[in-house]
Amino acid sequence: MINGNLKATYGADERVLNNRNKQMFVFGSIILLSLFPLFADDYSVLMACKMGILLIAVVGVNVLTGYTGLVSLGHGAFVAIGAYSTVIFSNLFSGLPTGILPFIVVPLAIAVSALTGIIVGLPSLRVKGLYLAVATLAASFIVKFLIEQDLFAPWTGGIVGIDTPVPSLLGWELDTKREMYVLITALALGTMLAAQNLFRTRVGRAFIAIRDRDYSAEILGISLLRYKLMSFAISAGYCGLSGALGAYFFARILPEQFGLDLSLELVAALIVGGMGRTLGPLFGVVVVMLVPELIKISMAAATGGSLELARYTGPVQEIVFGLLLVFFLLKEPLGINQITDRILRSANRWPFARG
Amino acid sequence: MTLNRRTFLATGAAATAAMGTPMILKAQPAEYVLGASLPLTGPFATAGQLVAPAFALAQKMFNDEGGIAGTPIRFVTEDSGYVPQSTLANYQRVLATEGKACVGYFADSTGAMKLIAPELKGENARLMGSTSFASELANPQTNPYQYISGPTYQDQFDILMQNIKAAGGSKIAIIYSNTEFGRDPLEHGRATAERLGLEIVLEEATKPQGADIPTHVTKLAQSGAEHCILQGYVTGVWPQLIGGARQFGLPIQFHGTFWGMEKLIADRITKEAGPFLAGYQGVMPYRYFYDRENAPRYEQYAALSKAMFAGTPLENYMSTWALQAMCGLELAMKALRDTAEAGKELTADNVAESLSGISDWDSGGFFGGPVSMNNNKIGTGRVYEYAPDTGLFTPVSDWLST
Repeated sequence: MINGNLKATYGADERVLNNRNKQMFVFGSIILLSLFPLFADDYSVLMACKMGILLIAVVGVNVLTGYTGLVSLGHGAFVAIGAYSTVIFSNLFSGLPTGILPFIVVPLAIAVSALTGIIVGLPSLRVKGLYLAVATLAASFIVKFLIEQDLFAPWTGGIVGIDTPVPSLLGWELDTKREMYVLITALALGTMLAAQNLFRTRVGRAFIAIRDRDYSAEILGISLLRYKLMSFAISAGYCGLSGALGAYFFARILPEQFGLDLSLELVAALIVGGMGRTLGPLFGVVVVMLVPELIKISMAAATGGSLELARYTGPVQEIVFGLLLVFFLLKEPLGINQITDRILRSANRWPFARG
Repeated sequence: MTLNRRTFLATGAAATAAMGTPMILKAQPAEYVLGASLPLTGPFATAGQLVAPAFALAQKMFNDEGGIAGTPIRFVTEDSGYVPQSTLANYQRVLATEGKACVGYFADSTGAMKLIAPELKGENARLMGSTSFASELANPQTNPYQYISGPTYQDQFDILMQNIKAAGGSKIAIIYSNTEFGRDPLEHGRATAERLGLEIVLEEATKPQGADIPTHVTKLAQSGAEHCILQGYVTGVWPQLIGGARQFGLPIQFHGTFWGMEKLIADRITKEAGPFLAGYQGVMPYRYFYDRENAPRYEQYAALSKAMFAGTPLENYMSTWALQAMCGLELAMKALRDTAEAGKELTADNVAESLSGISDWDSGGFFGGPVSMNNNKIGTGRVYEYAPDTGLFTPVSDWLST
């Protein structure tokens, strides 16, 4: 196979960035992301932070759905648990120095989400596919219902929501969106790298074996109970981290932010981006979050911001976005990651055979 | 060229002029921008789409009057889908694109107001009105830049309960949607009922849409209530509850608050299901659009509506929801104009100060008489009753204040 890369050692072959084009793509992106807050306006930083937060959650869904083959429509619940746990633990440990609080609170929030993930994942041992999706759907409703109850309102704020603390990392108060951008971007890159590496380990390979054929995996000696629940826990943990960052980023959290819409958005981003691929969630999040905004901006420009047409442009935006998603899936069912793969592979083989 | 004292001064003056001119231009933009998020899609799209044209009308009217101290205004209206985070993103985008030219914002839900409130500080602060009547927002100490263009839901409950007491009522039921909107005045309502000697015999939560009507009506029948207050509904549930109770033969007097008092909805229900809303009462902060006697501002709206919306249902009637938005915009414009006339820069602090200083304001038709901003709200309203034969809500109380 002509791949244009000479690998002289096993180490070189096993590298995550195993050719120059990938390295240029990743390091170039990191440099751009580092420079971004220096020239971007507040709105762009807000969008970038929202994308970073969503990305971490989609990486979590990718672990479960993309790599382990278990469909979930309840991951919004784990994001909610991460967010609310962050606020609750921050209030609970308010006596501790604020500089170290996030280092205690965020791991606890991730742990609570992961534990909840294990509980929600229990039906996965008996049901699969659409049935599991419906079983996990319940999690989304139950968690939101519990958050809204007056009984828990002293901790969760109930239906009216609750103000969130400003994180302080060893005395560095992240009280602006630009500062939060640094934290969110670093963690988003870290989680993607962690997910990539997870699938180079025994655990990750077990997940993939379960995805490809679960009873074959069991015959090979992989404990379905252990690994399916582990996948749920890791996946929910990622979502918990996403929720914790969301709580730190937004000045207030409300139960309605964590409804079914969020769970569906996570799955939609993953499908559009590419399931079971490291960069799939990244591309998916870019499409799911940026495209509606771009449609909105271009519609406003096309209509000259016309107030008379505003009542029509709103629904039209949704229709256009829906059609775009359908078009993407028809043209490339394996997601945008597949398109970028082709481009990178073509660049790598140039000037030889492409495709 | 040699640099002597004269050329130095001339160069200095020219440089100051060159650097200073853009500063002056920046401080006084060519037009002021007021941003707005509306639910043009999502669960409250009906309300959002009825309100949207009001912004076009407002833009024309305010600019015909000279904008803000001679500078025209422009509205930037966007869809939020009734998602608070989208409203926040819309707000940030307007700030990023318009900068200091953006002098105010209109948000579309209580959730959005609460989500944005902590962001309103320093350079990012702007005067902010909304569709909300949430009691929590009427607090200048915690929300100095946000205001309510009417009475809070708590005030509306007070007005209703005063009226029920005056009518000799003693036993009341409260049916509310299980949302923040529905629950807002509950605790305050209990205290008011106790103070007035009214007994709350039933508190029943329902889904905001698609509620289980027969169950709720049965509970209402068992409670023995004479009056029932409905809170937290816009287009659905409240008419079905009243219809269910009438089918059940319950002679209970029903009452609603602002969002359940729209004539277009009541008319549609009457047309589709019969005159069972006869006698339905509710509190309304503003006069209805058809009540234009001694209401010069409403007359102006009517003339403009005829010209701008000819051939549409909006030609002759402005919904209460649109009136609410117009009242919010009128208040914002008054605060902005007062600030500009006082020679102050239109910063959020200066405008908020002007807003809280509004007193004895003649609104030109919205309210019964001159009103004042108190705790960033206007705590006045009147009880109206619906008559299916005329299709009109007519007043059954004087203007009541809290």
